Amino acid sequence: MEQYKLFINGEFVDADSGKTFETIDPGTEAPIATVAQAGKADAEKAIAAARKAFDRGDWSGLTPAARAAKVQDFADQITRQGLRLAFTESMNSGQVISLARFMPLISVTLLRNLSLAAVTKFPWEEEIPVSGNAFAPGREFIRREPVGVCVGISPWNYPMYIACWKIAPALLMGNTMVLKPASYTPLTALIVAEAAKAAGIPDGVFNVIAGPGRELGEILCTHPDVDKIAFTGSTEVGREIMRMAAGTIKKVTLELGGKSANIILDDADMELAVEGALFSNFFHQGQVCSSGSRVLVSSKIHDEFLDKMIKRAESIRIGYQMDQTSHMGPLVSKQQLATVERYVKLGKEEGAELITGGKRVEVKGIKGGFYYAPTIFANVNNKMRIAQEEIFGPVLCIIKYDSDEEAIAIANDSVYGLAGGVFSTNTARAERIARGVRTGTMWINNYHIFSDYCPFGGYKQSGVGREFGLESLREYTQIKRIHVSAIADHKSNMTFQIMSDYKKVDGFSYNCPTNVVAGHGALSSIYKAVADLGCRRALILTDSGVNKAGLAQLVKDALVDFCVGIYDNISPDPDLETVDVANAVARELKADCIVSVGGGSVIDTAKGVCVTLKNGGKINDYLNFLVLTEPQTPHIAIPTTAGTGSEVTNIAVLTSKGGGRKLFIIDTRIMPNVAILDPRFTMTLPKDLTVTTAMDAMTHAIEAMMSTLANQICDGLALHAIRLINENLPLVVADGSNEKARLSMQLAATMAGWAFTIAQVGLAHGMAHTIGTLHHVPHGVACGIVLPKVMRYNVDHAADKLALVAQALGINTAGMKEHDVALAAADAVESLMKKVGHPMRLRDVGVPEENLAICAFHAIADTAVIFNGRPVSDPNEVLQIYRQAY
Amino acid sequence: MKRRWKINPIVKLGPGVSQAIRSFLADKGIQQSIRIDLYFSGCCDSSLYLCVDTIFETDLTLELDGLTFVINPEIYQVVGEVTISYVDEMGRKGFVLTSSKPVGEWDGFGVSDIKIQPNLYV
Ligand SMILES: NC(=O)c1ccc[n+]([C@@H]2O[C@H](COP(=O)([O-])OP(=O)(O)OC[C@H]3O[C@@H](n4cnc5c(N)ncnc54)[C@H](O)[C@@H]3O)[C@@H](O)[C@H]2O)c1
Ligand SMILES: [Fe+2]
Repeated sequence: MEQYKLFINGEFVDADSGKTFETIDPGTEAPIATVAQAGKADAEKAIAAARKAFDRGDWSGLTPAARAAKVQDFADQITRQGLRLAFTESMNSGQVISLARFMPLISVTLLRNLSLAAVTKFPWEEEIPVSGNAFAPGREFIRREPVGVCVGISPWNYPMYIACWKIAPALLMGNTMVLKPASYTPLTALIVAEAAKAAGIPDGVFNVIAGPGRELGEILCTHPDVDKIAFTGSTEVGREIMRMAAGTIKKVTLELGGKSANIILDDADMELAVEGALFSNFFHQGQVCSSGSRVLVSSKIHDEFLDKMIKRAESIRIGYQMDQTSHMGPLVSKQQLATVERYVKLGKEEGAELITGGKRVEVKGIKGGFYYAPTIFANVNNKMRIAQEEIFGPVLCIIKYDSDEEAIAIANDSVYGLAGGVFSTNTARAERIARGVRTGTMWINNYHIFSDYCPFGGYKQSGVGREFGLESLREYTQIKRIHVSAIADHKSNMTFQIMSDYKKVDGFSYNCPTNVVAGHGALSSIYKAVADLGCRRALILTDSGVNKAGLAQLVKDALVDFCVGIYDNISPDPDLETVDVANAVARELKADCIVSVGGGSVIDTAKGVCVTLKNGGKINDYLNFLVLTEPQTPHIAIPTTAGTGSEVTNIAVLTSKGGGRKLFIIDTRIMPNVAILDPRFTMTLPKDLTVTTAMDAMTHAIEAMMSTLANQICDGLALHAIRLINENLPLVVADGSNEKARLSMQLAATMAGWAFTIAQVGLAHGMAHTIGTLHHVPHGVACGIVLPKVMRYNVDHAADKLALVAQALGINTAGMKEHDVALAAADAVESLMKKVGHPMRLRDVGVPEENLAICAFHAIADTAVIFNGRPVSDPNEVLQIYRQAY
Repeated sequence: MKRRWKINPIVKLGPGVSQAIRSFLADKGIQQSIRIDLYFSGCCDSSLYLCVDTIFETDLTLELDGLTFVINPEIYQVVGEVTISYVDEMGRKGFVLTSSKPVGEWDGFGVSDIKIQPNLYV
């Protein structure tokens, strides 16, 4: 009799105890080999070898291609042993030879296919272009690295093939392995070990120990040097393995039991369905976890189906497994036979109708062997134990149903969720059912089809994780994320600053790519601008006020035949729905370019439309910071107010009803491609709007300078904007048609927009957004009223900046202390506001005093407040400012 | 014909087992015998388990510590004498069943509770 040894650290060795056990041929019950029986000491040696091999790095440290090449050598060595493997597999497991002869081939194919995937398809490293953290820029990527020492525990039904389900991904991904084959069928795994040795797989990378699970299971599943366990077997053992693995938090993948439904629809091809049901149950004597052991048959075809099934089942040839003519061989063991008999008895007791089989079979010329007849129960109710518990033998339950819905419900009435089938001539109908059944695999008009790139695994109590395909490769890796900061200065690291008193951010990146065309007659540039953007179908977005002023028509005429329409249904302080409706219009008109003609409300709506037109979905999906990776739909902005600066900024302010406030998209990708500053477009702006929108621009400039993100470029832009507003606002108030002053105001607004694109705004905006949303105070009005109060509040944190502001506002600061100069800047803002007739108090613009406290709570939560020069975290302080402005 | 086992025990109980079974029965308000049975717990391995059940004509029975254990004689022939122990340690709680002729290599690895045999579906 042949003798097999354990394979540990590249050597075939006897068990430490010297014990051996016999393994038999289930077709004859004759012993065929003795095998060294591993115990605790051998398991420890194998784990130590695998650990050492992993840590040595001569496997885990190879490139994926080098490892794949070795695995291909391994596959070649298995091929060389093909005949021996096929015979041994058949003789030891009871697989009929017509099946077992494929086992070496499909195992090799799996090794080769997964090698190819590991080298060409597997995402070993992945770039994360958008990290989702706007505060910590840097390169972000992930690496997939091996898990470490993996234990594979394989079952007796497909001893070699299922071992390869575990060996292939484990080794390809750089892990080392201790494989424990089932004790009924240890032989082919040990031949595979010979192949590994012959292929030069480094010592300790692959180890095989045979022995009882009861004894080895505990050490394999609790040893601290084991990192992962991949088990195929019973749900009860799987549960225990999971519990044991929990002690040291090992990764676990489990392929467990099933009680799959094979659903035969009334429109199925009858012959195909009969063959399918037969194959799904009696293939390999039903000892397959994915067996379709509940055959759900439509009541419309039930009787005919049953007749045919009986005839076919009774025609199956049972014989010795090595006999080429046998359709079915023996069950694996006496115990398995006893279990099957127990369930058949139970089925009869439960009232199911045994219509064929239900008995042992004697094979001519053989004494012994565990042969059992193909068995069919009809009139089975899904609540019966024979329909709920896996039998793992050639026992099929037929369950009648009336509707597709009922079939799905019956299929899902199981603790398992492994696989299933649908037989129908109507693919759409079959697929509807397949989608409704909660299992890891569904076959339509086929059964038991395993494919190397198609994942297999269970829902519910059928398991955890997947085998086959890229999914199986992933299961044998762990993910490492690597962040390489783009900032190398602690004074620019906003995260570290949470624990520091230094709150300013020194470093910055300046990226304001909008092409600005400004001056008298600048509108004329639009025709070429559209052509330069490669567009032909521009949609004008505007609002009714601007449209009535005739401004949209001016643009339409300038676009000649590049304009597909004018849409003007945009309200001030636009909400998310406004954007979605405008986007639908743009989509309908097949617009390839958006031209916004209006104030901030229109331009922000247009920014949103450019995002959804390009990417699909609703604008609510994009209320994020820095997540867009590509240029959006081209956008030309023509501002008609000199205020928001939205024509060049990276922000869109949109009212979210769900969020109960204004929310933002902040992204470099939403900056308009072109901004046209043509003074004609603001000349129609009424005086009050001229004043209040200008105060928005003033607030942008001053808040940007006070911000923790301010820098020299920001300050330069902001200071000139302040100077221009201070000089020109009184002029345009006096004469709205002063073209030069109007243009200066536009430039001021644009520069202030750039300033706050660089440095953001602060508390005044947080407060203005709040009273804008809660009490409909126009944005510029609200900004203006609170700005001087916020400047005073910030004075100790931004005195230097405010002193510069004072100078820009024309104050003679000679001989004054910086602190006083800073306060004088706030006074100067108030004087300008008075001079141009800007509202001065919240009570004058409809804010009820009793609501100030709630406004303070909202304001403090506004994103803008994060960057305020003075840290703000006390709502009482904000309330005080609101009171001062009241 | 009722066959009562008199000579060889069909079952041996470890410490705490009869107490655990009694309190289970009292808890559920059941007064029935405890069947030792085979079941298949999915993909590849059968196990022994306990369930509350009525006695069938052909069963082997054994009175022990005031409890009645029953087993189908064919199953007894395959598994031999059954040892039941009770564990309650580190999240592992329940009955562990092993037999003199193990039902499989994982014999005694898992733990189970006592199932209440759903009155057989008729
Ligand atoms: N994206 C940004 O960078 C940014 C910055 C600050 C504010 N905002 C947002 O912008 C919006 C406010 O924009 P806004 O202040 O420009 O006002 P607006 O766009 O809401 O327009 C206000 C009113 O003025 C009318 N109007 C505009 N231009 C006109 C003209 N030339 N002639 C006649 N009527 C004219 C409009 O019809 C409208 O009724 C708010 O939602 C605010 O939150 C955006
Ligand atoms: Fe603003």
